[in-house]
Amino acid sequence: MRGSKLSAFTFSLPWLLTFSLFWAFPLVYSFLIGFTDCNLHTFKFLPWANTWIGWDNYKALLTDSEFIDSLKNTFIFVFGTIPVTTVIALVMALLVSRRFKGRALFRAGYFLPSITSMVVIALIFINLYQRGGYVALLCEMAGIAPPVNGFLYDRGTALYAVMAMDIWMSVGYYMLIFLAGLKAIPEELYEVAEVHGASSGRQFFSITLPLLKPVALFVLVINSIKSFQVFVEIFVMTKGKFDSSTMVYFIYDTGLATAFKFGYASAAAYILFVIIAVFSVIQFILFRRKQTAW
Amino acid sequence: MVTGHNVFKEVFRYLLLTVVLAVMVGPLLWMFRVSFMRVGESIALQNLFSLSFTLTNFLDLFSNINMGRPLFNSVLVVTAVTLGNILFCFMTAYTLARFKYLANRFLFVTVILILMIPAHIVIIPLYLLCLKTGIYNTYWALILPWLVNPIGIFLVKQYIETIPPSMEEAARVDGAGDFQILFKIVMPLCKPALAVLAIQIFFTNWNSFLFPYILVSDNDLYTLPVALALFQGHQAIDWQHLMAGSVIAVIPVLIVFFFMQRQIISGITVGSIKQ
Repeated sequence: MRGSKLSAFTFSLPWLLTFSLFWAFPLVYSFLIGFTDCNLHTFKFLPWANTWIGWDNYKALLTDSEFIDSLKNTFIFVFGTIPVTTVIALVMALLVSRRFKGRALFRAGYFLPSITSMVVIALIFINLYQRGGYVALLCEMAGIAPPVNGFLYDRGTALYAVMAMDIWMSVGYYMLIFLAGLKAIPEELYEVAEVHGASSGRQFFSITLPLLKPVALFVLVINSIKSFQVFVEIFVMTKGKFDSSTMVYFIYDTGLATAFKFGYASAAAYILFVIIAVFSVIQFILFRRKQTAW
Repeated sequence: MVTGHNVFKEVFRYLLLTVVLAVMVGPLLWMFRVSFMRVGESIALQNLFSLSFTLTNFLDLFSNINMGRPLFNSVLVVTAVTLGNILFCFMTAYTLARFKYLANRFLFVTVILILMIPAHIVIIPLYLLCLKTGIYNTYWALILPWLVNPIGIFLVKQYIETIPPSMEEAARVDGAGDFQILFKIVMPLCKPALAVLAIQIFFTNWNSFLFPYILVSDNDLYTLPVALALFQGHQAIDWQHLMAGSVIAVIPVLIVFFFMQRQIISGITVGSIKQ
């Protein structure tokens, strides 16, 4: 194709501007002010006009109990939700993958929560989780004593209640991705397996599961990137109280809500950034190795 | 040839499907139910099937509780952002798909880079940038940074690559310029991909909370999700009005969902199968 260089430049200009102004610049900027003590009172826009304190923010973060708690909670959130979400999503996908009457209705219903606004979902669940609410009632029926002040006002349950909601909300989305993966598996493989007398369980473990691996990797990677950044539900439901603060909530809280420590919060954001990067790389490596071993 | 065993299996299957369906849509139905209850009425579970039914909560939203303004803001912002993305993602995607210059490799790298970067990293610097440039607490802060996004570029680029370039070449022979080719020939061909893109952008931005919340401080500029999140009163929560507001926020999503299911699904799955 011989479009002119000038038009190539013109066509990509909106993106190039957005990229440099709203992505590349903030990325570099936030890295730089992470090494300064800049806050609301001392803030100067040029990073080097602020007092340079080297790695002090990072050192302070590692001894800041609020930060460590948010780090711990983020890990609980990520490792608690992702396996459950993935398994439930896969089971749901298997449930609705074959043709049957009413399939479209079930699919649509399962998917509905994941396109609903997170704020709305969080509000509904504040109601369901409150003292004397739906969930408390279900617990009582099952013979479990619910927390006295409601699930979101108890150190032992607040974070887990948010996690349960998050699983409920996102399974439909990952179900759709698994469905696409299932659809891509050639039907003939099952026919051959059938001829050779393989049981449906055997078919699942020898055909379905191995061939779903790339899709599962995709699900794991996007889900972990998303879950490491959990914020909205924490903000709406608990405001980080009752031992439920997560890293992005911490960044928001120290940076833009209470202390306005821009430098400190930026350093925290970079720690999370590195964690997410390392985690994604590990997932890729693990999956690749296993795939060759198969 | 339905054996007893199979009937049992089928019944069990539908039972399971229905239980899961109830769990998935139950909370949403509860939202609708509460939004029709009278204020002051106990929203305890016992009243789930009581006959109380009123529309006053919805009317209140647009009179004494000011949800009209946030609704307007959401519509304005989402429309602008969606139109921007259709135009700008398409333009960049076309460049990536069809212009084979060395500089395009750099362009592609910028797209992939931002595609992989978690958004939390820009919370603080974007806030400071908006303060510095004076767009903080204006509609610009809600619109400008979001007018084009890497996921959209990627999605449209993949689609354009499936279109054979013969029509564009023919148009070029006939003396059409790059702009004419772009908007008169390629854009109409890309309608399916642009529909998928528009729906995705609509959903993300209609539901978006974090950035609209931190980049604006004035009540009059709150979008619907922000207004709802901050509506929870200080003492007792006014559930009837809160849920009515939530219903308003959900209805456009439901409408788009029921008419555009196929596009939504292909938008979600496009990345996963291409791996």
